[in-house]
Amino acid sequence: MTEVSTLHSVKIDKKTCIGCVTCMKACPTKAIRVRNRKAQINYERCIDCGECLRVCPYNAVVPITTSPADLGRFKYKIGLPSPVLYSQFGDNIMPHEILTVLKELGFDHVYDEALVCEMTGLAIEEYLDKNKGLRPIISSTCPVVVRLIQRLFPSICKLIVPIEPPREIAAKNLREEISKEKNISKEEIGIIHITPCAAKMVSINHPETMKRSFLDGAIAIREIYNAIMMRLQKASQPLWLHAQSPISGIGIGWAIPGGETRGMKFYNYISVSGVYDTIRILEDVESGKLKAIEYLECFICPDGCVGGPLTVENRFIAKSNILRLIRVFGDKQRVSSSLVKRLYNEKFFSFEHAVAPKPFAPLDKNRAEAIKKLKLREKILKKLPGTNCGVCGAPDCITFAEDIVLGKAILQDCIYVSTKRHNRKERHGEEKN
Amino acid sequence: MLMVLGHHLRTKNEWDRVMRSEILFQQKFKIHGGDFVNAGESSIKIRNILKEIGIDTDIIRRIAIAAYEAEMNVVMFAQHGTMHLLVYSNKILLKVADEGQGIENIELAMQPGFSTATEEMREMGFGAGMGLPNIKKNADVLNITSTVGKGTRLEININLNSKND
Repeated sequence: MTEVSTLHSVKIDKKTCIGCVTCMKACPTKAIRVRNRKAQINYERCIDCGECLRVCPYNAVVPITTSPADLGRFKYKIGLPSPVLYSQFGDNIMPHEILTVLKELGFDHVYDEALVCEMTGLAIEEYLDKNKGLRPIISSTCPVVVRLIQRLFPSICKLIVPIEPPREIAAKNLREEISKEKNISKEEIGIIHITPCAAKMVSINHPETMKRSFLDGAIAIREIYNAIMMRLQKASQPLWLHAQSPISGIGIGWAIPGGETRGMKFYNYISVSGVYDTIRILEDVESGKLKAIEYLECFICPDGCVGGPLTVENRFIAKSNILRLIRVFGDKQRVSSSLVKRLYNEKFFSFEHAVAPKPFAPLDKNRAEAIKKLKLREKILKKLPGTNCGVCGAPDCITFAEDIVLGKAILQDCIYVSTKRHNRKERHGEEKN
Repeated sequence: MLMVLGHHLRTKNEWDRVMRSEILFQQKFKIHGGDFVNAGESSIKIRNILKEIGIDTDIIRRIAIAAYEAEMNVVMFAQHGTMHLLVYSNKILLKVADEGQGIENIELAMQPGFSTATEEMREMGFGAGMGLPNIKKNADVLNITSTVGKGTRLEININLNSKND
């Protein structure tokens, strides 16, 4: 898998793909076309949401993540699992046990991200306290939401909270501490996120808010699920990791919507999940409709990170497991507020630079040309049946019309047009009007 | 150019024709008063068009807010109305016309916090009295004419090469 470009999180396996239109239809940014009976991703438009991965009936959409076999290149390996991992193994297995087993799989150290989630929540609260004005402030946790805003809603980039997500903050801290403690150089440490989605891989390879990510890779939960499960079953006595700090109940909540705000004192927040609902809510933000909301949590995956395409447990059970863990570990604050305030003032949590708008290319760089193309697209659209059948290889008629305008398709690709069926009917209808 | 052509163009129609030739793109949208379900759709369509023709993100943000507020005003206070998007080479003009109750005192209506919204509308989260002030804040030029009992017309001008912060 290493030969594939690191720019994106999925690729189409040409051997398995039969050219059905399922992924093309599911893609929210219309980045997929079917050509010569194979799906093709236009990476220029892909935001790494993983919808194609989720819906493909033939497993022909392959996520690009770090392979456990790649770990060998680091002298000191640290596993940093997303709290979602704790929700994957039934309801009587505790985070400590999962961390212990994870370590046995070949890590020198494992670290519980939940505690850092709690810290990040406090840092966000600090930011909201100190920065009145622009609202709603939007979470930076989901890398796909950040990308979606950059591309589809570039004018609201400045609403993204300029605080790194917990995985980056945890990795930043770990690299400092471990290199001091073990006296090894920072480059020799490999910090690997255990991830519910492939989008993290892109945010690691091409971070939007810093020069270089603090993480070195991301292994899919579903890729190490079996290994963990087998070890958990084999263990005869309770597994207990020594000297691990207490698990944060508030932090574990970050795996589901509402988690980020659970520990906050602000009441006026909303959490949204799923790609279409997220787009809907961001449209409202762009209209200025949600100014009364303090903080907006958006997750591209349905039900948040537990709904990630690379998880194993179904998301409803996973969600229930997370809720149970929150009850077990309680809402007690485990992190010192004064420590977070100090780190916040030292800009420990801050973005290196703001998220830059990266709007999708207009129909043409020249405005007059773009308008011409827009009108032409409307004209072509009138010749099309409007059934959005997808046989032409584009997800719907308007996208097909756009492809024609941009020279990427020809009108005859439409089966209605080429068989002249629809044409005749349409002309007939127009005469009546 | 128009100055030179001016004396040849005597009738209003001729003037209009020349003016229209400057319009690069236009589209009209219907707004239905009282339809809170589909409220906001036209302003979403408008900004999608503007994104596709490569209008600056900051300008889109301003138009998005102005168009949404104007659309909501029609939904809340009129029976029906239209929003007309006109793209010129140097500016964007949104003409909003409605048949509704009209504004009694425009000066008062422009004051932040002033609203004639009903209790029901407020309960739905509308009618904070920021509509017209918000439109004004985001427009370069705003013209309002209104006749009580008949309706209101807004002309929202946003220049394409100036910034308004």
